[in-house]
Amino acid sequence: MHIRILFGLATLLLLTSHSRAQLQWDNLVQQFQRTPQDEGLEARFTFRNTGAKAVTIKSLRASCGCTTPRLEKETYVPGEAGAVVARFVFGDRKGPQRKTIEVRTDDDSAGPVLLDLRVLIHDPLTIQPALVYWKRGDAATAKTIQLTAEAGQPVRIKRIIASNPRLAAKLETVKAGEHYTVAVTPTDTTQKESGEVFVLTDFPADAPRTYILQVRVK
Amino acid sequence: MIARAARQLALVLALALVPAVVSGAWQLAWKKAEPLAAGEVRLATAREWGARVQWVDARSRAKFERTRIPGALLLNEDEWDKLVGPFLDAWDADKTLVVYCDGGSCEASHQVAARLRKDLMIGGVLVLKGGFAEWQGL
Repeated sequence: MHIRILFGLATLLLLTSHSRAQLQWDNLVQQFQRTPQDEGLEARFTFRNTGAKAVTIKSLRASCGCTTPRLEKETYVPGEAGAVVARFVFGDRKGPQRKTIEVRTDDDSAGPVLLDLRVLIHDPLTIQPALVYWKRGDAATAKTIQLTAEAGQPVRIKRIIASNPRLAAKLETVKAGEHYTVAVTPTDTTQKESGEVFVLTDFPADAPRTYILQVRVK
Repeated sequence: MIARAARQLALVLALALVPAVVSGAWQLAWKKAEPLAAGEVRLATAREWGARVQWVDARSRAKFERTRIPGALLLNEDEWDKLVGPFLDAWDADKTLVVYCDGGSCEASHQVAARLRKDLMIGGVLVLKGGFAEWQGL
């Protein structure tokens, strides 16, 4: 008899804990496409308390220091809507980015919720590689860097400037607005050298970007 | 009456023991068997390599300045353009780069390692499993 009561109580506990999951999220995954010039973005993850009890959001934890989540308030009564606003500062990031925010409430029976922010920081010019180097004693032969603009988004290279005269750089246009090469040749490789090649472009028109190629003799 | 209660108590404890043992065994096995992802290295292995390792700190400048693995170089994506030049000046091409961030779910070490491999085409770049928390023994 007592055993039956114990099992009954356990079942009741399980059922009540499951029925408490209350925050209903509209979009757990949000995707954006931006450029480095945008510098950052804000994403709103909206929700509603669809349960019968008030829910308190206890913590928000972002996967990256570059992403700051915030809430207008912590406790939401039944039927009330709210949002987690995530501010993502790009810094010098580029390419596909995925940042998550873990949300914990006072009802963790269903585990924390993971908000998923996906951003493609799109740079129309691809540089491959962004570093050329020689070890001391290597043959002082030229190494070539490819600069390729994305199809449909021409980027013209106006000129290049080498910071170190012992690391000579020569720009060659393969197809204007689409494909260029920079060949770098050290005077010799007898000593350590450090330099940059500044690549001045016409993109974007309102604030043309300068890209930096790294050159070393190690 | 007492004997009956004791029997029931023993039964409840026995029933509770089964999931406890299963859960404990599963957690121990999980800790032990957590595999390395591609491009990751365990702290013990990196320590064995000694001076052949160059540590790369992918955390924020503030965290780096507060505490870091001795000899680590700062390189993060917040300030990549500013940091990459000094980083390359200090970089030794004969050393293996081991990148770390906070640990847990942080992604910065993987992102920085990917850029070292893909953008700069540097070989021998690994990510420290468990990050700085592992180094601190947390």
